[in-house]
Amino acid sequence: MLRLPPLRRRSGGKFAALAALFTVVFMLLGMGGASALSLSAPASLNTAVQHADVKGKKFAIATDTTFAPFEFRDGSGNLVGIDMDLLNAIAKNQGFEVDIKSLGFDAALQALQSNQVAGVIAGMSITDERKNVFDFSDPYFDSGVQMAVGKNDQDIKTYADLKGKTVTAKRGSEGETFANSIKGEYGFTVKALADSATMYDDVKAGNSVAVFDDYPVLAYGVSQNNGLKIVTDKEQGSSYGFAVNKGQNADLLEAFNTGLTELKANGQYDAILDKYLAKTEATEQGGFFQLVKDSFPALMKGLWLTMVATVLSLVIALVIGVLFGFFKVAESKILRAIATVYVSIFRGTPLLVQAFFFYFGLPQMTGQPIDVLTAGVLTLSLNAGAYMTEIVRGGIQSVDPGQLEASRSLGLGYVTSMRRVVVPQAVKIMTPSFINQFVITLKDTSLLAVIGFAELTYQGQQIYASNFRTGETLLIVAALYFIVISILTQLSNVLDRKFNK
Amino acid sequence: MSEATAAVKNAKISVRDLKKSFGSNEVLKGLDVDIAEGEVVCVIGPSGSGKSTFLRCLNKLEDITAGTVTVNGYDLTDAKVDLNTVRQNIGMVFQHFNLFPHMSVIQNIMMAPVELKKLDKTAGRAKAMQLLERVGLAEKADARPASLSGGQKQRVAIARALAMNPGIMLFDEATSALDPEMVGEVLQVIRDLAAEGMTMVVVTHEMGFAREVADRVIFMDGGYICEEGTPEAIFTNAQQPRLQEFLAKVL
Repeated sequence: MLRLPPLRRRSGGKFAALAALFTVVFMLLGMGGASALSLSAPASLNTAVQHADVKGKKFAIATDTTFAPFEFRDGSGNLVGIDMDLLNAIAKNQGFEVDIKSLGFDAALQALQSNQVAGVIAGMSITDERKNVFDFSDPYFDSGVQMAVGKNDQDIKTYADLKGKTVTAKRGSEGETFANSIKGEYGFTVKALADSATMYDDVKAGNSVAVFDDYPVLAYGVSQNNGLKIVTDKEQGSSYGFAVNKGQNADLLEAFNTGLTELKANGQYDAILDKYLAKTEATEQGGFFQLVKDSFPALMKGLWLTMVATVLSLVIALVIGVLFGFFKVAESKILRAIATVYVSIFRGTPLLVQAFFFYFGLPQMTGQPIDVLTAGVLTLSLNAGAYMTEIVRGGIQSVDPGQLEASRSLGLGYVTSMRRVVVPQAVKIMTPSFINQFVITLKDTSLLAVIGFAELTYQGQQIYASNFRTGETLLIVAALYFIVISILTQLSNVLDRKFNK
Repeated sequence: MSEATAAVKNAKISVRDLKKSFGSNEVLKGLDVDIAEGEVVCVIGPSGSGKSTFLRCLNKLEDITAGTVTVNGYDLTDAKVDLNTVRQNIGMVFQHFNLFPHMSVIQNIMMAPVELKKLDKTAGRAKAMQLLERVGLAEKADARPASLSGGQKQRVAIARALAMNPGIMLFDEATSALDPEMVGEVLQVIRDLAAEGMTMVVVTHEMGFAREVADRVIFMDGGYICEEGTPEAIFTNAQQPRLQEFLAKVL
């Protein structure tokens, strides 16, 4: 994938993957360049200074998936945050409409470069490299790196206290750059991690004594009771801006700037920032059951997608398994070879690699975009299909060959003999393995979280990315899996007993 | 009914220079046999002599390596011959019964004629009942094979093999897997069939039975037909030392 030079944050391969995925998803959403940029919409009423050129138009704006407090999903799955509130307020003020595309940071930039969206707002630092490619608005937020330590840590108050210790920072972020720039002077080690929640957990677990991160991100985390406290002032401030493609959408950019100025003048700007960053006492978080209640809607959405992906995948896997399973026991060497190659490939490579391949590898090679559910189901069904093939083969081969001989000796053809004699007996033998594969595939859907399929695990990750209650959230997620799998296993066993007496 | 049958007129089964190898192991080394309509042929011989393989070549359950097997005028080695049609006229009974365990007794019997559209379900059931009565198991029609004794299983298997009204019956050591007290009931059914004029090839270890029902006895050894003749000739006037030796052991 096309990547920009080192940015404000995020350079791990995981995010490159995410980027690719979201680009793909997004293309499938049918946002052709032109239509995304200017959809006509009813003119809205407003009083402030407005730019006639943007008035009444609708702009597709790309953003990140989760970068609290700039953009993240609340308990009911709605995208909120400083960027979102600010953009909506400016749009309203300037009389245009926005269509937010939550794509992931890298994917958002690529969508912009390929003109699939009109602009990007994603807590993006204004840098010289980026200025070569994009035009930026006036800065709407001044960031900067701060250091935070465990809430009860009395020992670390300054950089000097870090001697001989390990600190953590987000890979590719300014926090990491800054920490590395002073580690020689103060004699500590920097450990790079992938995301905020993981870093905070690392500090709480005592593996690192401090974390370096963007101040708004840290401040938001602290306000959400992430168990840390901020001990230093802002360093190395950088500014966030709204970006459009270089030389394009100047009207939009101008409208953004005008709107921003107006919001700053009328106090809306400060209100939005305070909403997320207020230095008041940390908001009290509810108990475990409050968390269950709050996260329930989002988790149910996830669970539904988990079930959809599981059922679709298993149905297809069953068809594949039966087909290739029969190939495996066929007389034709060619058919057997085809089935063997198929099974070897899909059993011999990790599911995760297959998922990545179908999400971004294949679209890149064929130029044919693929949506996330399709790619996810494709991955799971081809993977499960390989195991199903072996289950079917094993089932058929475990039927006494004398059964087929007896049937053939009566003058019944191969197909009829299989259908009437061998398969009914094989199915009985195979049923427990089928149930087992069903459970495995259901659990495997969780792997699709890494490529952004919004199933149960993904929803859980989204939740703890904004509330930092990793352990509790994962407990709820695990419990949901456990309950669903237990129920379905019981159900399958009952059906098995009923039909396979 | 072409040149392949020219050798012997009105032979139901005609075997010419039949060879069969499993990999490099040649099990049948060139067999020539003609079996006439209504003839009962018993095949005897030591284990590994190739008698079961020979029988299984007669309905091509085994691929034929070389030579020809002609049944009812159809050359089984001819790829154009529809094996299923030929097999419908050849009933086979196996050592281990091979009943279909997921079907009831009567379903075992009626499946082939119904599946092959020879009979509708009602007629198939009636025919199956008739056959079950014939083997003395009418009351077991709805039982599962697993609930039957070995002898009963084998009688059901015979009824199943008869369901397509075959002109030829093949028995592959039909009593070898049975407890001794059950051998008699199965042999009686076979004996009745013989008496009705069914063309039969019976691979057996029951020498007394062979002597009693066979029109001809074939003694196989080492993949060859070593000696053949009337039961009288084979059992009382054996020519080949290997046959004499074999008979000395089993009688």
